[in-house]
Amino acid sequence: MRTRVVAYLVTLWIVLSLNFLLPRLLPGEPLSALLDPESSDYVFSAEVRAALEAYYGLDRPLPAQYFAYLKGAVTGDLGRSIRLNQPVAKLLAAHLPWTLLLTGTALGLASLSGLLGGAEAAWKRGSLADRLLTVTSVVAGNAPVYFVGMMLLIFLGAKLGWLPLAGGRTPFAHYDGPLAAVADVGRHLILPTLTLTLSLLGIQFLLVRNNLVSILGEEFMLVARAKGLRPARLKWNHALRNALLPFVAHLAAHAGLAITGAVFIETLFQYPGMGRLIFEAVGARDYPVIQGVFLVVSAAVLTANLLADWLNGRLDPRLAEEVGR
Amino acid sequence: MSALSHQTERADRRASSLGLEITLGTAIFGLFVLIALAAPLLAPYDPHAFSGRPLERPSVAHLLGTNDAGQDILSELIYGARISLAVGLGAALGTVALGLLVGAVAGYAGGLLDTLLMRVVDVMLALPRLPLLILLAAFLGSGLVQTMGIISLLFWPATARVIRAQVQTVRQRGYVKMARNFGGGSGYVLRRHILPAIVPLIAFGLVAAAGRAVAMEAGLAFLGLGDPTAKSWGLMMRFALNLPGLLLTDRWLWWLLPPGLCITLLILALTYLGIGLEGRLHPGLKR
Repeated sequence: MRTRVVAYLVTLWIVLSLNFLLPRLLPGEPLSALLDPESSDYVFSAEVRAALEAYYGLDRPLPAQYFAYLKGAVTGDLGRSIRLNQPVAKLLAAHLPWTLLLTGTALGLASLSGLLGGAEAAWKRGSLADRLLTVTSVVAGNAPVYFVGMMLLIFLGAKLGWLPLAGGRTPFAHYDGPLAAVADVGRHLILPTLTLTLSLLGIQFLLVRNNLVSILGEEFMLVARAKGLRPARLKWNHALRNALLPFVAHLAAHAGLAITGAVFIETLFQYPGMGRLIFEAVGARDYPVIQGVFLVVSAAVLTANLLADWLNGRLDPRLAEEVGR
Repeated sequence: MSALSHQTERADRRASSLGLEITLGTAIFGLFVLIALAAPLLAPYDPHAFSGRPLERPSVAHLLGTNDAGQDILSELIYGARISLAVGLGAALGTVALGLLVGAVAGYAGGLLDTLLMRVVDVMLALPRLPLLILLAAFLGSGLVQTMGIISLLFWPATARVIRAQVQTVRQRGYVKMARNFGGGSGYVLRRHILPAIVPLIAFGLVAAAGRAVAMEAGLAFLGLGDPTAKSWGLMMRFALNLPGLLLTDRWLWWLLPPGLCITLLILALTYLGIGLEGRLHPGLKR
C-alpha cells in the first residue's frame, strides 16, 4: 500500500506541474495564459499589461513562480477567474457538490443494477433476455452520452413535459420548506442522472456478466453445485462474490468515465456542476478556471483509484500481500 | 450426444455470432467510407453555400431543410462523414504508432527503460482523459490537425501496454531465443518474429482507437473545442442546440437527430468491429 500512496503523490505532483508548465511552454507572452489575445476582455495598453503581469507574478523567474504556484495549490489558492473576477477555489466549491450529486447517484444506481442485472444475465446466459440485455448494453455504453441525453430530453422533457429541461433547480424559486427544495432539486436531477446511469450501466453490466460467465465455469462452482447448494446461494454467495473483485477494481475507472459523461451531460442539461463550469470557461478562454477544474477532477479521480486499490486489498488478501510488498 | 460435440457446437455458434458482429460493423463502416469518398457526388449543395432561406423545413429542394444560416443540412451531413473519418483515421494511426513505438521498445529492451516507460503509461492511464483533453485543446488551438494530435497524445498508453505484454511474451518463447542464439540480430528478430505476433493487436488497436477518436472529435466539437470551420457532426449538433426553443418545435427531427444518429452509428460500427476482432484474437474469450 505504501508504494501505491507514493505513486499517488507523484502522479498528483505531475498533474500540478503539468498545470503550471502547459501555459508557459506555449509561444506568446505569459499573460496569454490568463487572457486570450482574441477575447474581448483583452487589454492592449502595454502599461496595464505590465501591471497585470506584476500582479500575477509573471515577471518573476520561473522557479519562484513554480514554488508560489505549488504553495497556492496546497493552500487552496488557485488564482482568479478572469471572466467572473472571483477566486477559482470559490467557484469550484460552488459547482463541485452538483457534480458529486450527479455522478454519485448515477454511479450508485448503475453499480447496483449492473451487479444484479449482470448476475441474472450470466446465470441465464444464452437466453433471449441475456442477448437482448447484452446488445442494449453495448449500445448504451458506447453511444455518445450527449446523444442519449438529447433523446431523453426530447421525449421525457419536451414531448411529454414530465421533467424540467435544464438547470439544477427552478430559478428564483421560493420554497415553502426544506422538503420542497429537495423535491425540486430531485426533479431536476432525474434526467441527467438517468442519462449518466444508462451510459455507465452499459459498461458495468458487461463487466459483471462476462466475469460471472467465466466464474460459473470454474471448478469451485462445480463443487458447490455437487454439494447440493440452492441455486440462489450458488449465484449470490459463490459466484457474485468472486465477480465483485474485478468490479471494485474497475470502479475508479468508472468514476473517471462518470466525470467524462458529466461534462457532456451538464453542458447539455445546463446543470450547474464542474462540467458546466469548464464548458463556460472554455467559451470565454478563462484559463485559470479550466486549470482549476482539471486539477480538482484529476485529484478526485486519482483519489478514487487509491481508494479502489485499498478496498480491493481488503476484499482480496492475496492482492493486499502483493500490494504491500 | 457427447459433451465434446456439444462443446464444438457451442464454439461454432460463438464463431458465427462473431462473424455477424464483424459483418455488420464492416458494412456500416464501409457505407460511411463510401459516403465520405463520394460526398461531392452525393451532396446536393456545397455545405458552405447559402443555398436556401434560414431554417427552411424539409422540402424536395432541401430534403433535411436548412440550418439557421440557410445552408443545406443534408449536404452538411454528407460532408460531415469526411471529417469524422479523417480525424478517426489520423488519430488512430497516431495513437497506434506511438503505442507501438513505446510498447515495442519497452517490451523488447526490458530493464530500466521498460520500468520508466511503463511508469509514464501508468501515470497517463490514471489521469482523467476528458479534462486533460479540454485543457490541451484550449491551449493548443482547435484545428483538425491539433485535434488528431491531442487525441493521439492522450490515448497511446493503452495500446502501448498491450503491445509491450505481447512483445515480452513472444521474446521469451523458445523459437525466438533459438533465433537469437543462432546470431539473429535485433532487427531480424523484431521483423521476423515479433512483428507477425503483434499485427493482430495493431489491427484491433487501430479500430478501437478510431472509435474513441471519432467519439472524442464529435464531443470536442459539441463542447465548442473543435475546428470552427470544419462542419463536423458534433458542430452541427452544437449549432442546432444553440437555437433557442429548438426542442419545442419539431425542427430537431431533421437538424439534431440525423448528425446524432450518424455519429452513434459510426461509433457502434467501430465498436462491433472491435468486439469481433477481439473475439478473433482470443478465441477462448467467452462473451
